[in-house]
Amino acid sequence: MTEREMLLEQVAALALGILPPAEADKLRYQIGLDDELYAEYQALRSTADLVGYAAEREPLDELSSARIKSKLMKAVRADVATPQQRQLARAGFVWPAYAVAAVAAVAAVLSFANNVSLRSDLTAEQHRAADLQQQVAAQTSAAHEATSQLADLFAPDGKHYAVKGGEVITHGGHVYIALRSLPALPAGKVFQAWTLAKGAKAVAPSITFVPSGAGSAIVRLPVDAGGLAAVAVSVEPKGGSKAPTSTPTFIRPLS
Amino acid sequence: MEDAGRLMARVRDRDVAAFEAIYDAYHRLVYGIALRMLGESAGAEDLTQAVFLKVWSAPESFISGNLGAWLSRVTRNRALDVLRSRAVRSEAELPADVALDGSIDDVVFARLDGDRVRAALAALPDEQRSLIELGFFAGVTHEEIARRTSTPLGTVKTRIRAGLRKLRTALDPGVAP
Repeated sequence: MTEREMLLEQVAALALGILPPAEADKLRYQIGLDDELYAEYQALRSTADLVGYAAEREPLDELSSARIKSKLMKAVRADVATPQQRQLARAGFVWPAYAVAAVAAVAAVLSFANNVSLRSDLTAEQHRAADLQQQVAAQTSAAHEATSQLADLFAPDGKHYAVKGGEVITHGGHVYIALRSLPALPAGKVFQAWTLAKGAKAVAPSITFVPSGAGSAIVRLPVDAGGLAAVAVSVEPKGGSKAPTSTPTFIRPLS
Repeated sequence: MEDAGRLMARVRDRDVAAFEAIYDAYHRLVYGIALRMLGESAGAEDLTQAVFLKVWSAPESFISGNLGAWLSRVTRNRALDVLRSRAVRSEAELPADVALDGSIDDVVFARLDGDRVRAALAALPDEQRSLIELGFFAGVTHEEIARRTSTPLGTVKTRIRAGLRKLRTALDPGVAP
């Protein structure tokens, strides 16, 4: 056997992925300089990858198959949950106690979904499981959001600024307004938050919100706390205003 | 099933249904490789999930060619990582990962299905097929294969190259048998 043939055999070994790392590195360098070796490597490597098909007949029971799929699809659906879905899911979390309860509910739903995936009648349950997975994905996302909010609200290094009926809380760049005993709003009206950036002369409109039936609300403002000089809330027409149209419920400097 | 390349393009657009179709079509392949390489079902399940999460999170890694072959390579490399982390063997005994760049993917094989590949593998002489499969699934170097099979190293290399060339010829419609 010629030296060249021995080299080509090494290339086949590299293509199959059975060369030790040091030998592989050395050979890759040679392949980069030699057209024939490169062509051989190219042809045999794509062929070698196909050898994996020999394992496709390994036994995989339906339960395991469904379990893997269930976990994967859960992760994937959670990844694609739209901002609107997250917002809808988040709307249910108006106070920390509710959030804690909802986390427990999510755990229950997750557990139920897992149970479903383990039932023997998998075919009949697949559609139902898919629906549940979608619900779980949305609620899991909401639970994560709620958990993150709880961490901010109860962080020992968070800053709390008292306002009428509640407080403004900042932590880790996040800003929350937490209010209790809010009055019932007239029809067609909402509360709207306003932010005053450091150095700015006019407030900027922020999100609108309505209190829960118990008259409470926790909202996170979509701004970075570090750039804020003050926060305010006023009652505005549904849909919000570009500038305050009523006397603010409170104006709170963040200092 | 829809063409795998098109399905992957849809996955790149975050299409969950396309991802599900890919999972349904290829999970037995991925799980089978993982099981053969790791030797236990729990690890094989975890590896299967990891591989498909990679499909979802980095679909652009697949450029063209045979999706099953690409998944095989990804799975084998991941399994090698697991074997390395178990540290039951020294690094020198474990082969290098096979590079994952897309330039090698072979359009000739893009539409091959598993049945045809398995038939071509089965048609190889036993002494070639067994060495090739051992090389692919055992996660060991050619020297270890020689030791395990009590075959001279030179013979191992010769049979592996001959087998791979024969397999390519059998699967490539542009090459006369």
